[in-house]
Formats: sequence, C-alpha cells, structure tokens
Amino acid sequence: MHTVLSVDAMDLLWMIATVLFLYSSLSFLWKAFDCRRNQNCYLFDYVCYKPSDDRKLSTELCSDVIKRNKRLSMPDYKFLLKVVVNSGISEETYGPRSIIEGREESPTLDDCDDEVDDCMYSTLDELFHRTGISPGDVDVLVVNISMFAPAPSLTSRIVNRYKMREDVKTFNLSGMGSSASPIAIDLVNNVFETRKRTLAVVITSESIAPNWYCGTDKSMMLGNCLFRSGGCSFMLTNDPSLKHRAKMRLKCLVRAHSGANDDAYSCAMQNEDTDGRVGFHLSKSLPKVAVRAFTENLQALAPKVLPVGELALYVIRGLRHRLRRSKETKAYAGTAVRVNFKSGVEHFCLHTGGAAVIDAVGSALGLNKYDVEPARMTLHRWGNTSASSLWYVLGYMEAKKRLRRKDRVLMLSFGAGFKCNSCLWEVLRDLEDGGAWEDCIQAYPPQSLVNPFMDKFGWVNEA
Amino acid sequence: MPAVPLPEFPMWAKFGYRFIVNNFVTLFLVGSMTAVGWELLQLGPDDIMALWRSLQEKPIETLSAVFLVAFVAALYFMSRPRPVYLVDYACFKPPSTCRVPFATFMEHTRLINSDKKSVQFQTRILERSGLGEETCLPPANHYIPPNPTMEASRAEAQLVIFSAIDDLMKKTGLRPKDIDVLVVNCSLFSPTPSLSAMIINKYKLRSNVRSFNLSGMGCSAGLISIDLARDLLLVHPRANALVVSTEIITPNFYAGNQRSMLLPNCLFRMGAAAILLSNRRREAGRAKYRLAHVVRTHKGADDRAYRCVYEEEDAEGHSGISLSKDLMAIAGEALKSNITTMGPLVLPMSEQLLFALNLVGRKLINPEWKPYIPDFKQAFDHFCIHAGGRAVIDELQKSLQLSAEHVEASRMTLHRFGNTSSSSLWYELNYIESKGRMRRGNRVWQIGFGSGFKCNSAVWKCLRTIKGPVDGPWTDCIDRYPVDIPEIVKL
Repeated sequence: MHTVLSVDAMDLLWMIATVLFLYSSLSFLWKAFDCRRNQNCYLFDYVCYKPSDDRKLSTELCSDVIKRNKRLSMPDYKFLLKVVVNSGISEETYGPRSIIEGREESPTLDDCDDEVDDCMYSTLDELFHRTGISPGDVDVLVVNISMFAPAPSLTSRIVNRYKMREDVKTFNLSGMGSSASPIAIDLVNNVFETRKRTLAVVITSESIAPNWYCGTDKSMMLGNCLFRSGGCSFMLTNDPSLKHRAKMRLKCLVRAHSGANDDAYSCAMQNEDTDGRVGFHLSKSLPKVAVRAFTENLQALAPKVLPVGELALYVIRGLRHRLRRSKETKAYAGTAVRVNFKSGVEHFCLHTGGAAVIDAVGSALGLNKYDVEPARMTLHRWGNTSASSLWYVLGYMEAKKRLRRKDRVLMLSFGAGFKCNSCLWEVLRDLEDGGAWEDCIQAYPPQSLVNPFMDKFGWVNEA
Repeated sequence: MPAVPLPEFPMWAKFGYRFIVNNFVTLFLVGSMTAVGWELLQLGPDDIMALWRSLQEKPIETLSAVFLVAFVAALYFMSRPRPVYLVDYACFKPPSTCRVPFATFMEHTRLINSDKKSVQFQTRILERSGLGEETCLPPANHYIPPNPTMEASRAEAQLVIFSAIDDLMKKTGLRPKDIDVLVVNCSLFSPTPSLSAMIINKYKLRSNVRSFNLSGMGCSAGLISIDLARDLLLVHPRANALVVSTEIITPNFYAGNQRSMLLPNCLFRMGAAAILLSNRRREAGRAKYRLAHVVRTHKGADDRAYRCVYEEEDAEGHSGISLSKDLMAIAGEALKSNITTMGPLVLPMSEQLLFALNLVGRKLINPEWKPYIPDFKQAFDHFCIHAGGRAVIDELQKSLQLSAEHVEASRMTLHRFGNTSSSSLWYELNYIESKGRMRRGNRVWQIGFGSGFKCNSAVWKCLRTIKGPVDGPWTDCIDRYPVDIPEIVKL
C-alpha cells in the first residue's frame, strides 16, 4: 500500500515538475517571439508637402531674384543662370514667400516660422486625417530641419498645436544635413526596440528663408539655385496589429559617416564668406567625398541586401579582376568590380542632389533609365528638397503604381558631414496612392527635360 | 473650509514605521529562515540522515526542483534590462581670462546699450541674480559691441566641447574608436554640418558611429540626450555612448531693449559637459553611477506653458529669448506632473503606502483631509536642480520642502558658473562629489527645466564612494564654498 502510494506521489511530482518546466520554457519562447514581433518598424503612411501655386519659382522669377543682388557682376549672373537652366529643374518648383516677395536678404523670424509651419501643419493635418490616428496617441515625435532651430523647438511647436500628451518623447534633430531622414528612422527604430506598441511621427523638411545667401562667393551661390521648398510627414509604428494597414516594413538601415576625414567634413559647410555673410559652401571636392562615403555605405549595405548568390559572384569577379590586374596592370587599372544591386532591390529612391549626382549613383549601382526615372522626375518637378526628397521619389513610384507586394525599396541619401545613409524597405501590399503627384503624374515622364527657356536664356551656355 | 491637518507622530514611531514597511521582504525572509533554522536545530542527527536519505530516494524530483529553481532564477536575471552605467564625466572649466565680474558686465552694458532704463534694469537683475564674480562669457562677448559671427560661435563650441571631451578621455582612458554612440545637444547654435559632425571630425571617430544632434530643446535637453543614449544602449550590446551637453552663448547676445528679453544676457554663461555612458559589464567596476530612471514631462499642450520661454523678434527686429512672468508658476506645475510619474518609481514603500492611504481616506472617509505630499528626501540623498536662476531654486526648495544643504549644490553652481543651461546639472553633481558627500548607494535626482515647457528628471544610483580630491571645475575653489549669497548685492 505504502509503495503504491509513494509511486503515485512520485508520478504526481514528476508531472508537476514537467508541467512547470514546459510552462517556463513556453513563456520564455513566447517572450522572445513577442520581442521579435515588436522589433519590426512599419511605415504606416507618409504625406509629402505640396505648397500653394503662388509659390512657384519659374526661371524668369529666378532670373529676377538673381538680378536683385546688386553685388553680382555679369559673369556671376551668367554663371548662376547657367546653373538654373541646366539643373534639370522645371518651372513647377516652389520657393519660400520671403524670396518671392522680394525680402530674401532680410527675412524676419515670422517669415521663417511661417515657412516651416505651413509645411509641418498641412502635412500633419493630412497625415492624421488619412490614418485616423489622433495626435493624443502619438508616443514619439521627431522633427528634422537642418538649418532652422528656434526656441522652443519645432517639436514643442507641434506638441502645442496638436495638444499632444505630456509623456510624448520628442527629439528635435538639427544640423544633420540632407541625409537626415534615415537618421530620424534610426532613432525611432531604436526607441521601438525598447517599447511595445509605440507610434511615432517624423517630420522632415528644410528651411530656405533664413539661409538665402546674398554675397558673391560662387561656391555659396549654388545652394540658392538648387534648393527648393518641400517636406514630408510620415508615421512609423511597431504595433503588429497595425501591420495590415501599413505600407512598408523596414528591413535594414546603414549609416556611414566620413567626418573623420577633413576634406569630407568641410566639403559642405555653413560658413561666413570674406565679407562676413553666412552661406552654404559647397566645395569642388564634393563629388570625390560623396563617392568615398557612398562606397563605405555600400560595403556595409551589400551583405545585408544582396542575395548570397550575388555576393559569391562578386567575390569571384573580384578575385578574377585581381588576377588579371596583377598580370596586365595597365589594361585593368582603374576599373572597378561592379555589383548588381538589382538582384536584391527592385526600386531605388536616390537623393535628388542634382542631375549629376543621380547619374553618378545610378551608374555605380548598375541602374538603367527606368530605375533612375523617379529621382530625375522628382528633381524636375520639386527641385532639391533636401532631406525630404526621398519621400517625393517614393511618391512618384507609388503614383506610377510600381510598388507591388514583396518589392524591396532602397533609399539612399547624402548629407553634410559628410554622410551617406541608406535604408531598405519591404513593400507590404500593392500601393496606389497618388499623394502629392496626384494631379501631375499623367504628364510624367515628359517628352523633354530641357528647360523651356533655353531659347531665351540659352546664351548663358555660350562662351 | 480649512483642510484637516494630519496628526503629528513622534520621531521613533515614524522611524519604526518606515523601517518595517521598507524592509518588509527582508524581514520576512530573515524571519522564516530563522524559524526553519530553529526547526533544523531541534532535529537530531538521525532525523537529518533520514531527511537526506528520503531526498536521495527521489532523485528525479529533487533534480527537477533544483533545475526549476535555477531556470526561474536564470529567466529572471536574463529578462532584466541591460544596466546603463555612467563611467565618468567632465565639465569645462572656463579660463579666468573669460571672467565677467559685475564691474565688467556693467561697464560693457553701459557702453553697448544707450538706453539708461535698460542698463538700470540689467543692474537690478544682476544684483539679485545669485551669480558671483567668477562666471565667464566667451571671448566674442567681451568685444564692445559683441561680435556674434558664425566663426566666433564655432570657435566657442570648439573651445568648450573639445576641452570637456579631452578631459573626459584623460580621466577614463576612452579611445575615439571605442565610441559607438554620440549624442550632442546645444539649443541655440546649430550649424551645418552639426556639432556632432565637428566632434567626429576632430577625434576621427568611426564611420559607423551613431550620431544625433539635438537642438532647440532648451535647458532640459541634457536629460533628453541621456534618455536617447539610454535607449540606444538598451538596444546595442557592449556599447559606449558619449553625450555632450552645452549651450553656445556667442550668437545669442540680445542687442535690444525689451525687458523680458534682457534676462538671458544677465544669466547665461559659458559651460559644457561631456559624459561617458556604457552598458559594458566590465565598466561596472569603475563606473560612478547607474542610471535608474528617466522621466520626461512635456507641458507644450498648454499655451501658457508653451509661450513662457520664447524666441522672438522685438519691435526693432532684434531677436532674443523672452521669459514670461508666469515662469515660476509653470515650472511648479511641470514639476508636479513629473513627480506624479516619478513618485511610484522611486518612493520607498512607506511613503507610497501613506500616500495611498491618504488618497483613499480623502476619497472615502473625509475629503477635507490635507493631501499628503510624499517626502522625497526619503527617496533621494542628493538633489541637482537646474541652476536656471535664483527664483527657480527658491521655488523648488519650497515645493519639495528641501533643506539648505539639499539645494546648496545648485546655489553654489549658479554663483560660481552662472546659468550654463543643460550642462549645469553636471557642475552641481561635481560639487557634491568634490565636497566628499557622495557615498556608495546614494541616490541622486537631477531635475532640468526648459523651453517647451519641459520638466525632465533623471535618477542615478551611486556605485562607489567617491573620495577626494575630485578632478573637475571645482578643484581650485571648493574650499571657499559654500559662500553666503546675499539677497541683493549692491552695485
């Protein structure tokens, strides 16, 4: 009797121990899985800024604005107009009111505030409306506007306007250049990994009104010709329950900062010229610096993005190249081994720094005309809108109905510092919103990108 | 109707209550272990052998029980978040050539500003400010009139930031290539490329360093940077984060006459701090503090709070920071909100229980009971209150019921260094260390206020007793402190 009882008791104890053990391991596994679920960063939606039509900057208007600067001589005027005419920028881009109304040399704080407020509020209003999310549900708010940082910060301005919660985490990034969109995404992604079911809103734009250069240093006048008004607000979340409504999922993000190199640090820099006027200096070594930063980024990005097959091919091609070079040095010196990024990425959002930049990056990645079309068209329609340009390029792709489920999108941008940042997204469902391109997408791509005023201003291209 | 005051208990009763409630778990464990031990002692050696044999007969059960305990313990330890250590920090010590004694400040003001009323106003502010004669302004502000060029601003940034970082590297042996995260905050100067890029360039940091440059976020931005660095360290293993907090004075001299905008000229002074945070286990041995909590409160939804520290242009087009008269009231409200979130995280059980009982009592028994204000002195040993101005420190001393010694670090920092904005909290911490008051296990509460309006707090736990002499900005003058700061210094 005693032994039977003790056997039963032993079995019972054994069962309890097993059950407890299974329970603990299952809950541990669930916790690990749950963490993984929350580590996904989804792009819920994005809204690109479309300024009102009275802010369009035509070539004629640009010419007038340049002429207003009495300090410029005829060669300077010719140089600037040449830049504008050959930039690949259309008559439809936008500028700040202070410049259009003739106050470019003495913008007031109100002008700067108005420019930024118009962009932030109109995009945020639409973003909240489209997503149906209320501002009180926002947990993280990031603003990045490189060249304007008033006090209280722009994040506080938004918290005030939309009456956000007291425990909202705000971050106001500034001075980080045209490449700040991936930086803001990196910040939000990090916060997502420490908290569950979090909603983040990011606003990216640039401030032109207070940064108009009114001197005569050529390297600083380029900024005046190329930068245009633009911006974007986008919403990110790590809440798995919102996945079915989200547009894309972040797969990886790579940041490369070549600021340790002195040339890189000083090639795009805000400075005073010899007369004491502040302007944005773009040096001649910019292309070389950009290439170096780009290479560094790609070296880190390639293993994360490309399929194993392509990487293996790259290694083999590299070895063959090395062997050939050691045998016939002259013939192969200077040629680089190409990697076919199209094996791992379907769509490329390239930073619209300028026509030359787009072409150079495109050829380095092995892209054809179809692949660089979104970037060229964005440059044409919106100009160089700095950090938000990637989102206009994405908007073009979406309006053209190119983005299908499971496609991969690579965003690549450059910025002062000198940085090259990139991020890879996976499209979660077929996307069809027209967004800011809604009213003009049918006209793209146009027959010709040549400036319609080439006849009138073509003389600037002659000797 | 007047509120019914709470009964006063004798000291021994208060002490007994706190001891029992706060150490409840320990007392319970000790009690039960004593009881079991006593039982074991009663057993004879035969009984012990019988007990041992019965355990041996059931190896599976014993092993499962032991395994289960070990497994649960392992789960517990693994699920705890990575600790964030403050290895060390360094504050910028301004050179005495940048000193602005009262006489210099007044003379410059008279020569720059032709409006007599403005000069008088600034004199009155300075008399009551609580600042001393050794605060410093950057070289550009010593010109008559000041020379706020971008070049001069960059020069000031390089001077303050690089000195602080050099100091930190010497103290900790940190190598530039070991920095994984860089967070810089400077509210009123944000060039492109950013100050973070400037640091990356000077110290040749790695190309995959994660850098962030926060701007416009006010005097509480230092704790926002700590919050961001902490989030990054929670995610990336074996990482070092360098946080740099500063405010660049050069471009922000206000050249007009509006009173609400003249205050910053009188109070803001040069300063910077560089802090090394890490989550590497081997730093635990030499780290000074561990970060326990960061609580951020943003009152921007309220229009009054949003406008109380505001950058704007006056009628003549001079831009400056305007401080509203409601500042103290708003700071008080922001602090209350912050404490409401902070309280449950840091207050000992005894205070929380009293607060809960008081709350229940007020709701159910008698709504006229006076609300119980938890005693934060029970939760913290040291307080670092942002040295925003004398009024701020007075207000906080009153609302938190702190003694003069608790706010001594803040007052003395205001006296010696002025309002250095986001870095002031680190000068205050250094004061406490230099005075030899920081002991192992002490908890420190850093409170920052800033435009927005924000109130941010950080709680640190001291990991090792810090013995003097402490290397820092107070080294050569700590023996003179504390000084008696009169209500008004007649100028």
